Amino acid sequence: MTFRQFAFNNVIRNKRLYAAYFLTSLFTVMVFFTFSIFAFHPVLSGENMNGYVSIGMNVASGIIYVFSFFFVLYSMSSFLQSRKKEFGLLMIQGMSMKQIRLMVFLENMFIGFFATLGGIVGGLVFAKGILLIAENVLIIDDELPFYFPNQAILLTFGSFIVLFFLISLFVSYILRSRKLINLIKGDKQSKGEPKANLFLTLSAVLLLGTGYTIALLVEGLEVVAALLPVVLLVIIGTYLLFTQLSVFVIRRLKKQEQFFWHKTNMILLSDLSFRMKDNARTFFLVAIISTVAFCAIGSLYGFQSYLTAGTKEQTPYTITYTDAENGGEANASLIEETLEAEQLEADGERIELRYYEKSDQSLVLIAKQSDYNRFAALLSQETIHVSDGSPVLIRTGLILFEDEHAGSSEAEVLENAALELKGGSKLEPNQLVESDVLPGSAGNYYYVVSDHDFENLPVPSSEQSYYAWQERNGESISVEASEKLDQEVTGGFITNVSYQEYILNKIYGPILFVGLFIGIVFFVSAGSFLYFRLYSDVDEDKRKFQAITKMGLTEKELKKVLNRQTLILFFAPILVALIHGAVALTALSHLFFYNLFIESVTVLSLFTAIQIVYFFIVRFYYTKQVKAALQ
Amino acid sequence: MLKVKQVSKVYEGKLTYRALTDIDLSVEDNEFVGIMGPSGSGKTTLLNIIATIDEPTTGEVTINGENPHLLKKEDLAKFRRRELGFVFQDFNLLHTLTVEENIVLPLTLDGKKVKEMKEKAYQFADKLGITEIMKKRTYEISGGQAQRAAVARAMIHSPQLLLADEPTGNLDSRSSKDVMEMLASLNQNEQTTMLLVTHDAQAASYCDRVVFIRDGKFYSEIHRGDNRQAFFQKIIDTLSLMGGDANDLSSVRV
Repeated sequence: MTFRQFAFNNVIRNKRLYAAYFLTSLFTVMVFFTFSIFAFHPVLSGENMNGYVSIGMNVASGIIYVFSFFFVLYSMSSFLQSRKKEFGLLMIQGMSMKQIRLMVFLENMFIGFFATLGGIVGGLVFAKGILLIAENVLIIDDELPFYFPNQAILLTFGSFIVLFFLISLFVSYILRSRKLINLIKGDKQSKGEPKANLFLTLSAVLLLGTGYTIALLVEGLEVVAALLPVVLLVIIGTYLLFTQLSVFVIRRLKKQEQFFWHKTNMILLSDLSFRMKDNARTFFLVAIISTVAFCAIGSLYGFQSYLTAGTKEQTPYTITYTDAENGGEANASLIEETLEAEQLEADGERIELRYYEKSDQSLVLIAKQSDYNRFAALLSQETIHVSDGSPVLIRTGLILFEDEHAGSSEAEVLENAALELKGGSKLEPNQLVESDVLPGSAGNYYYVVSDHDFENLPVPSSEQSYYAWQERNGESISVEASEKLDQEVTGGFITNVSYQEYILNKIYGPILFVGLFIGIVFFVSAGSFLYFRLYSDVDEDKRKFQAITKMGLTEKELKKVLNRQTLILFFAPILVALIHGAVALTALSHLFFYNLFIESVTVLSLFTAIQIVYFFIVRFYYTKQVKAALQ
Repeated sequence: MLKVKQVSKVYEGKLTYRALTDIDLSVEDNEFVGIMGPSGSGKTTLLNIIATIDEPTTGEVTINGENPHLLKKEDLAKFRRRELGFVFQDFNLLHTLTVEENIVLPLTLDGKKVKEMKEKAYQFADKLGITEIMKKRTYEISGGQAQRAAVARAMIHSPQLLLADEPTGNLDSRSSKDVMEMLASLNQNEQTTMLLVTHDAQAASYCDRVVFIRDGKFYSEIHRGDNRQAFFQKIIDTLSLMGGDANDLSSVRV
């Protein structure tokens, strides 16, 4: 047996010992690889995609790489800690420190090589599967074909071999000359209970508080400016939250004897505080990764629903046609023919929209009562009665336009809306109505005057012909007919909501899908990190529960302790990530002035549900394993 | 109070192994009984069966007329926690807890009041001379102190029967003597019945009676008279007669 064979056999014949470390590495590679598959995807990185998206993806993969480095380094060093005794034994047999370093180096390169390969193969299979599903679920039109990602494979392979090489070098440095006796007694020495620093504990609260406050207060474009500082504050705050604040809280609880000495609390909390040192880093990583996943998916989903809602609100009608030039009768009859050919029962109306110039030179629509009521009848909405000299102000409430009177009371809105037209006539509205009967103008408001007043208005600045058709049974025009109309109608402007939604989904589908996919990969790996963290303590737990069971611990109590222990491990970081995610999505909705509440709740509760399922599975196996050791 | 009737233990497996054969043992209230024998004689198996950690293949064990092996799992755990006390060779203290917390652990599981637990803990700590180290961690104290803390934990709920498995096995002669003296005085003052398994003749000489087993069978028993030194000599003689491993005598420290 050569020395190299010894190192390899060490790994292969000790699979279980190395499994957790190997799988952690494998998952890290897989996250990076799947990410780069999409970063290099011809459809996504080509001209079709916004340049910012591909820059964003490259930056993200850089961040993942840095994170991976520290995470693999950390799991390797904690893995080596548990093998101290083995190294001691080898040294007693006469192995030199140099040889041990070489052995660890070879082992690590061996594991690293296969973790990289495994991660790439796993990523390929996973990506192919997801792409298959995506093609069927989303409207993508084979726009995201599976490709053999040579570039991504090369990049992943190259960068991770370098990463494992560096870590292997680093790790052999960690194992610098230690006394033999310390190595042999290695696992008997306690690492000591971590202590919290009051200043850093307060900083954690302060940083998170400031970050949250800023994120929740800023509106509009300020959100973009505040993004980087808030992210930094929250990342540092989260780190301190887990390394300091949590330790502080646990120590406080331990001092409360009424609480700490109550039933199984003692067994649960004492270990928790000792493990917090190891847990903190995993918790931090998981919290940040999950937050990124929540935000990515939440904002993509939110953005899509924002655009969709915007499209829908443009007009409540099945189809409309606007022509500023020449009445547009020819195109209008083309639309009517199409509707008939589609066998849709649609009623149509026509209006000449008159726009007047305001003092700030923007245009505003003024319509007469009878026209308004004709269109209202088309939508089966309430008609209005306007008396002479008391015009009605209509608020359209379109989310794509900024509301110029946002936040004001009704009286203020009416007062501000008083309008003086060229030629001296004045409009002083005394009634505010919310409706989407007529298309609005910029500023979200228009006026309806009585038919008599309308005659006396001066000459308008511009005039448009507006046609609207409403399908009686709420059916929409087929995609083929819409496409045909889109090509044939020239000169004017068609608003065909269902078709526009279709186009939007088609463009947006791939982006949404990539976001979803990356989010899920992130989330699954976060769960795996937690799983490995739990399992690295399994031997100590077995020993501890063996000791306590001898003295008399009922199975119920054992289950209770294990349940809570797993519960804390699985939900502490996710809870933090959920709060981070909720704050981030609130900030996002402030950016667009659009309420993302339902989207946020959907995304966050979906993730919570996945995590709950994950928790039950892991708890089942962990409890089973510990109980088996007690027989 | 403790009756062991015709207990046998056979370990089934690839290699069937008979650990105990028809052991009979009866311990009176407040008696301090030692079990001795060479390595592999089955002493620890016997202790584990009495401790309800292991089950006998045949025969029965009764503690105060009750057979704990017939209890359900949950009740069995509670029985151990309330009626029995354990002292182990490797102390079995939890390193994440302080000495005080280790001592009160059995009581916390039963949801006792903090005041009551504290009172009892300090009462025993005082008797065992470990009051100063109550706030220390288990890795900050000596082996002798750790074993005394373990004795306090075993005694805090005033068990009917205290079971000690090689309590001096990891201690130096001075600490061994201290711990055995403590056990003997607790046996006197707290009226606790004690069962001790040991290799150490010196430790066994603190018992009222020593039972010898060899190859899983009863060998002989000797009673202590008034003189502990003479009793010690008798134990040594029996051990050498029994012809156990030579290293059984190496732990003799006079």
